[in-house]
Amino acid sequence: MFDMLKELCACDGCSGDERGVAKYIISQLPQDCEHYIDGLGNLIVTKKGIAVPKNKVILAAHMDEVGFIVTYITDDGYLRFAPVGGINASAVIGRQLHFKNGTVGVIGTKAMHQIPKAEREKEPSFDSLLIDIGASSREEAEKKVAAGDCAYFECGYTEFGDGMIKAKAIDDRIGCAILLLLLKKRLPYDITCVFTVQEEIGTRGAGPAAFSVKPDYALVVETTTACDISGVSAEKRVCGLGKGAVVSYMDKGTIYPKELYNIAFAKAKELELKAQTKTLIAGGNDSSAISVSAGGIPTLALSVPCRYLHSPSCVIKKEDALATASLAAAMFCELCAK
Amino acid sequence: MDIKNVLTQLCTADGVSGDEASAASAALSLVSRYTDDCGIDSFYNVFAKIENGGDKRPTLLLDAHIDRVGLIVTYIDDDGFIIASSCGADERMLAAQTVTVHGAKKIKGVVCTLPPHVKKESSGRIVIDTGYNKKQLEGTVAAGDRITVDSAPRTLSDNIFTAPALDDRAGVASILYALELLKGKKLKYDLVVTFTAREETGEDGAKIAAYDSGADLALETDVSFAFTPDAERHECGEMGRGVMIGIAPSLDRRMSNSLIRLAREKEIPYQTEVMNGKTGTNADSISVTGGGIPACTLSIPIKYMHTPVETVCVDDIVATSRLIAEFAAEQGGTLNV
Repeated sequence: MFDMLKELCACDGCSGDERGVAKYIISQLPQDCEHYIDGLGNLIVTKKGIAVPKNKVILAAHMDEVGFIVTYITDDGYLRFAPVGGINASAVIGRQLHFKNGTVGVIGTKAMHQIPKAEREKEPSFDSLLIDIGASSREEAEKKVAAGDCAYFECGYTEFGDGMIKAKAIDDRIGCAILLLLLKKRLPYDITCVFTVQEEIGTRGAGPAAFSVKPDYALVVETTTACDISGVSAEKRVCGLGKGAVVSYMDKGTIYPKELYNIAFAKAKELELKAQTKTLIAGGNDSSAISVSAGGIPTLALSVPCRYLHSPSCVIKKEDALATASLAAAMFCELCAK
Repeated sequence: MDIKNVLTQLCTADGVSGDEASAASAALSLVSRYTDDCGIDSFYNVFAKIENGGDKRPTLLLDAHIDRVGLIVTYIDDDGFIIASSCGADERMLAAQTVTVHGAKKIKGVVCTLPPHVKKESSGRIVIDTGYNKKQLEGTVAAGDRITVDSAPRTLSDNIFTAPALDDRAGVASILYALELLKGKKLKYDLVVTFTAREETGEDGAKIAAYDSGADLALETDVSFAFTPDAERHECGEMGRGVMIGIAPSLDRRMSNSLIRLAREKEIPYQTEVMNGKTGTNADSISVTGGGIPACTLSIPIKYMHTPVETVCVDDIVATSRLIAEFAAEQGGTLNV
């Protein structure tokens, strides 16, 4: 699974620009899968299992990642840009970005020595930042980049520490990897997996995808914010690495059905999988769109805890990803037969 | 000599102030192409001597600093998070950067930051996540270990090159290329080349190396601010417009004038950098070493100083090298102006 994750994270796919990710996922599908891409770009994959399930269950993961879009090219050849999805500007300055055509740019400001201390402590804003691709004029810049092109963090996939992985776009390529892993297995029931678009700009792809499939239940496989770092008090840590799959009762977008929440923890206990809940109402995911689609679909999110979300260095722990994958597979079977 | 290749070799070496061994050895292997009389002193200063043979001539010191900005481990908390302090690095640029911790072995880490999903409480602390707990870090990382931010050298376009540690490895490269230009030529001076440690923390390396060099005059090569659209024109040089010749009360004006004259004569692109006191370069320390050494600073304009994406125009390095070479050459620079 982690080999696939590495390749998935290396795919560049901002919201609205997910085709490359879909192409990779299709290349990984076993022969017994059928797939189509809908009008929005959602990739919908079906596979026959041993039996027809009592309930139709979909698993969903989003393909898009946070990134940047060029809005304007200055006379001096610098690029004005805006974030696609929620990104702190402080995670952008002092680093390289790249475009799909291989063009590399850097983002900086005037030297720290030239900025008064009080000003240095302020959070920068995207309005004040420029991408520098080494062009000395607009004409030179336009040879490489046009307004509307997307820029991406360097992937930097690295395994480090005690079973940790660091890369861009782990949100939600780990979800994509978990679904792919499931699709590669021999399954007891027919399955539908939806790989969605535009999650990062307001969970826009998942609703229509769920509407088309009209399932009885949906499982969203995601990442969620872990703030278990030095200096953050226990109640604000949301969840922690090494504590297993995250099952939440509520986040900023969804109140999850208590019944599904309880089944998930019971299943985790039965299979001796680590599971935890969120200790803060934070974040949101495709559940908010799926749960109100097609007249309402009971939806549960199973998430891999992830530090430094929406930065170029998303960090997860392998054992949490494996626990989430196992729990997702078990919940799929459970809901199919429920 | 391929300057980008040399920059890549230099900028991929670590060497945060006070821990310059690996950067010094990278620089030594490059300078040893030009002389056998070279080495590293106990302070991690690299030195190399190039004498003309025959008559003793005045000694010209060519210096650039070899240390780079970075972080230093100050504490490891109970969960294994490393608390660090900056050794000159721009702290605004650290969030979510990938770093290398140079402990008993090198390990990777990420600078902690909170995502946009949760409210930010500014702690003002630099915290590193190595993925290990405190027990697992024992024997590997200790207070005092240095940390560098990972950033690969890349070409942005033609001659525009980005890398960490261009401050002042670009200066080191310019001196190396000057030696290349001077190969086999008669010189006005005996040369002592030093690539000195601990500039970022108080120019200590240069204080020692300049004393040992016995130099009669000195040319410092460092980097300075290149204009970016958010800066003031009068506070910056311009990238791609040539070497910046320093003029300051702390610098030897005769040398500044001689360098300007040479740049004009030889059609070397140059710009002047006027400062109103000290320069913030090793020249400040070198000039008051021993009984005093007349010194001048040549600066290479770079963008985004003290960040992992320092950016330079290779043409400016070439201009700096050419001017150093012209100054050292037989009909070169002089104090008799």
